[in-house]
Amino acid sequence: MRSGALDLRFVARRAGYALLTLAFILAVNFFLFRIMPGDPIALLARSQRLSPEALEEQRRAFGLDEPLFVQFVVYLRETLTGQLGVSLVSGVDVVDLIVSRLWPTILLVGVGTLLAAVIGVLIGIRGGWRRGSAFDSSSLYSSLVLYSTPEGWLGMLLLLLFAGWLGWFPAGGFSSAAGLALPVLALSLGYVGQYAIVMRSSMIEVKAQPYITLARAKGLSDPDVRRRHAVPNAVLPTFTLVVLSVGFILGGAIVIETVFSWPGIGLLTYEAINTLDYPVLQGVFLVSSAAVILAAFIADIAYGVIDPQVRQS
Amino acid sequence: MVALRIAIAALVAAASLAAVPAAAAAEDSTLIIGMTVPIENPNIWALNSSSEWSAVTLQYDMMLKFSDDDLSAAPSLATGCEPNSDYTRWTCAIREGVTWSDGTPLTSRDIAFTYRFVIDQGFPYFSGYFPEGSTFETPDDNTLVWVTPEPSRGPEVPAWVYVVPEHIWSPYVGKTNKEIKQAPTLPTVSSGPYVMTEAAPGQSWTFERNPYFWGDEPAYDRIVYRLYTNQEAMVQALKNGEIQIADGIESALLPAVEAIPDVVVQKITADSWTNLAFNFGGQDPASAPLRALQDVRVRQAIAMAIDKQAIVDKAYQGVASPGETIIRPLSVYWHLDIPDDQLIPYDPDGANAMLDEAGYARGDDGIRIDPETGDRLVIRMPTSNDTPGSEIAGKLIASFLQQIGIEVNAQPVSAGKIYDMQQSGDFDAYIWYWSGDPDPNYQLSVFTSAACGDLSDGCWRDPTYDALVEKQAATLDQDERLAIVREAQQYVYDQVPAIPLAYPNAIVAYRSDLVTGLTPVPAGNGYLTPSYSYTSLVNARPASSGGEASAPASPGASAEPGAPQAAPAQAGSSGVPVWVWLLVAAVVVVILVVVVVRRRSAAERPDTH
Repeated sequence: MRSGALDLRFVARRAGYALLTLAFILAVNFFLFRIMPGDPIALLARSQRLSPEALEEQRRAFGLDEPLFVQFVVYLRETLTGQLGVSLVSGVDVVDLIVSRLWPTILLVGVGTLLAAVIGVLIGIRGGWRRGSAFDSSSLYSSLVLYSTPEGWLGMLLLLLFAGWLGWFPAGGFSSAAGLALPVLALSLGYVGQYAIVMRSSMIEVKAQPYITLARAKGLSDPDVRRRHAVPNAVLPTFTLVVLSVGFILGGAIVIETVFSWPGIGLLTYEAINTLDYPVLQGVFLVSSAAVILAAFIADIAYGVIDPQVRQS
Repeated sequence: MVALRIAIAALVAAASLAAVPAAAAAEDSTLIIGMTVPIENPNIWALNSSSEWSAVTLQYDMMLKFSDDDLSAAPSLATGCEPNSDYTRWTCAIREGVTWSDGTPLTSRDIAFTYRFVIDQGFPYFSGYFPEGSTFETPDDNTLVWVTPEPSRGPEVPAWVYVVPEHIWSPYVGKTNKEIKQAPTLPTVSSGPYVMTEAAPGQSWTFERNPYFWGDEPAYDRIVYRLYTNQEAMVQALKNGEIQIADGIESALLPAVEAIPDVVVQKITADSWTNLAFNFGGQDPASAPLRALQDVRVRQAIAMAIDKQAIVDKAYQGVASPGETIIRPLSVYWHLDIPDDQLIPYDPDGANAMLDEAGYARGDDGIRIDPETGDRLVIRMPTSNDTPGSEIAGKLIASFLQQIGIEVNAQPVSAGKIYDMQQSGDFDAYIWYWSGDPDPNYQLSVFTSAACGDLSDGCWRDPTYDALVEKQAATLDQDERLAIVREAQQYVYDQVPAIPLAYPNAIVAYRSDLVTGLTPVPAGNGYLTPSYSYTSLVNARPASSGGEASAPASPGASAEPGAPQAAPAQAGSSGVPVWVWLLVAAVVVVILVVVVVRRRSAAERPDTH
C-alpha cells in the first residue's frame, strides 16, 4: 500500500466520472422541463391581455418557435459559453438572477446545515457511545421524529408560534437579521436527525471493533478511547454526508424558503416552476447539480486521503 | 441537548440584538404593503406580474387615465381629447407645467415618443391599443394629435400605456426587447407620485416620493412593497404591525384576518372570473367533444342545475358573487347586470324536465342517454389548479349534475395541462379563469369564431355573436356601443357556450390604527393598492393614533431622483449588511458549542491519563 500520497490516476478517474455526470445533467436539464405540460408564453395570456400576434412575437423572441432540436443546439452552445439565457417572465439575465439569490441561500442553508451537522454529530457521538442510555433513547426518538416531520409543517408551526403568537420574530423575509432565526431553526431541526442517526450507528459499529478493546486494555480512560480511537474512525461516513450536504446548499431549500418568503434559490425555483420559466429552471438545476457533483468529487478525493482503503478498492 | 439549547439561545440573542437598531431607525413615514406575487424586474418594459403592474401604476401616468370612479377615460397628462368630425384625428391638450422626476419638463413629444416606441418595439401588453397605421403629431409642447387612417376611438379607450421620458429611453430605440428589458432603470424617472429607488430581487421594492409630482402631494415619504410567498406569514405580519396593508389574501384566511384588532377588510370586485367552458370541437381534427353539449337545451339545463350561490359559499367562503356575464362587474361601465327576473334560476326540477322534453331519457343507472348517438351523458370536466376554488366548484358541479342524470369527471390538473387540452380540443368542458381589460373588446373577442385555435376556450362559433362583436368594435358613439356590448353579453348568457360560475373577490386588508385615507378605485368595492390608478396611495396617510408599521423599511438612503445608481443595495435595517449579522451569529453558536463540549469532556476525563 502506498500510503499518504494522492494517487493521480484515482483523481483523474473520479474527475472523469464527475464530468460525464455533468454532461448527462446538461442534456437531461433541457428536456426535463420541456416534458412538463403547457406553454410558458400562453400561460401569460390568460392573466394578461395578449393578442395572438403578441403571443407569437413573444415565442419568436425567445426562440420557442424553433424546432426542439434547434433549441437544444442553441442551449448547448450558450451554456458552454457561460450564458444561461434570460428569464422568460422577467427578462432578467439568468446568471444575474441566480447570483442575486445565492447569498440568501448560502446564508440560510449554510448556517442551517452547519448547525445541524455540529449538533447532530455531537448527539450521535454521545448516544452511540452510551447506547441504551436515557440520553440515547430520547435523542434517537426525537431525531427520528424531527427527521420525519415535513419541514414545511415544522416551519409553519415555528412561524405561528414565534412570529404569530409570541411576536418575537418577523413573519418572513430578508429584511432584518432576526428574519434568519426561524428558517434556520426549522432547517436545522429538520436536518439534525440524519446526522445524529448516521453518527450514532457508526459509533456503535466502531465500538465493537477489536482496536477499541485493545485501547481499553492499554488502560486508556473512557473519554480518551472515545476521543482518540472511536470518533476519528466513526466520523468517516458522517464526513461524506456533510460534504455532500454542502453540495446541496446551492440547491436551496424550496419548502423552507417558500414558507418564510426567503429570497433564495429555492424560492426562485418555486416561482420558475409556477411560470414554466425554462431558462431559470435550467440555470438553477445546472448550478445546483454541478455543486452536488463537485461536492461528491471532493468527498471522494478527501475520503481517499483520509481512508486509504477506498483508494485501494 | 444542552448544546442545542445553547445554540438556540445564542441565535435568539443574536437575532434580537440585530433587531434593535432596526426598530430605532424609523423616522420618515413609510407605508409597507405585503404582496404575494413575486416582483422581479423593475424595468417598465418587462412588467408581468400583478405586483409589477402595481409598481408601474404607482410611478407612471397615462395620457388619459382610468377614472377613479368607473374606469372610463379621464384626464391625466392630457386634460382632454377631441375628435374631428370623422374620428380620424384626435387632438389632445397636454397639461402644462408637468415635469419628470429628474426635473426635465414633460411635453407632448414624450407622449408621441412613448407611443411610437411601443408600436415599433411591439411591447406585448401595450401595443394592442393602437389602431393600424396610427401616427402622432406634436404641433407644440402642449398638443398631441393622434391620426388614424380609419375612424377610431383612439385615446378614449383609454390606451393603457404608461408615458415614459424620451430623454431616458431614446437611446434604446431600435434595440432588441431583450436588451431593453435589461436596461438599468433605478431610480426611475417618471411623472407619478413615487419613484422606485431600490429593488431587492424577490423580497422588496422601495419607492420614494417624487418631489416634482404634478398632483396633490402624497403623505408618505416612502412606500415599500414586500413579498410574502406564504399567505399565513403575511397575515401574521399584518397582525404584528410589520406591514400596514396586506394585498391579495386568500379567502380561506379571511376569518384569521378578521380576528385581528383594528383590521379593515376590503373585498374587491376582482379582475378575474371563474369560467366553466364547454367544448364545441374543431381545434384539431382529432378533437371529439361530447355531442350532447352542442345542444343548447342541454347547456341551458346544466346552467339551471348549477347552484352558483353554493359555489360562492363553499368554494370561495362567501368571498365572491355568483357569475353572470362574460364582462366582469369591475368594468363598471360595460358590465350588464342581468335583472333578477331574467336570471337563469337554480331549478334542478326544471332542468330535469327540459332534458326529458329534449329526449335525453335516463338509462338503467340513472344517467341520461343521448338519443342521437346512444352515448351516456358523461362529461370530462377537468379543473385548473391555478384557478382558486375551481377544484371545489368542480366537485359541487359533479354532484349538481348527478341530480339531472349527467355524470361529471372533475379531475384537477395543472394550468399547463388545461392549456394543452384547450389547444388540442381534447375535453368536453373545463373550469379555468379569465381576466381582461376594463374595455370589453378583448374579453368579447375571445368568444368569437376568429379566436378558435388561439384564445377561444371551446371554439364556439356563432355568426350572430360574431356580428355583434364586430359591430361594437366599429361603433364610435359610446352609448350606441354600450347597447351592443350589453346585447352581446345577454346573447352569451342565453346561448351558454360557457357559464361564468363566480366573480371571486380579491381581499385586501389594512390596519386602520396605522393607515387611513385609502380610496377604492373604482369607487365602492375597488382596489386600495395601485391597480388602475395611484389615487389611493396618494390619499393614504398615517392614522392619527400614530403610526406606521413597527418594522421599518430598509433605508436605501433617499437617492436624489435622476442620479445614476449602479445596483440596488442589499443592506439590513441598521445599515450593516444582513449577512454580517448572520455570520456573526453562526460563528458565536459554533464557538459556544465547541467550548461547551470541550469543557464537558475535560470534566469527564480522569487524571489517570
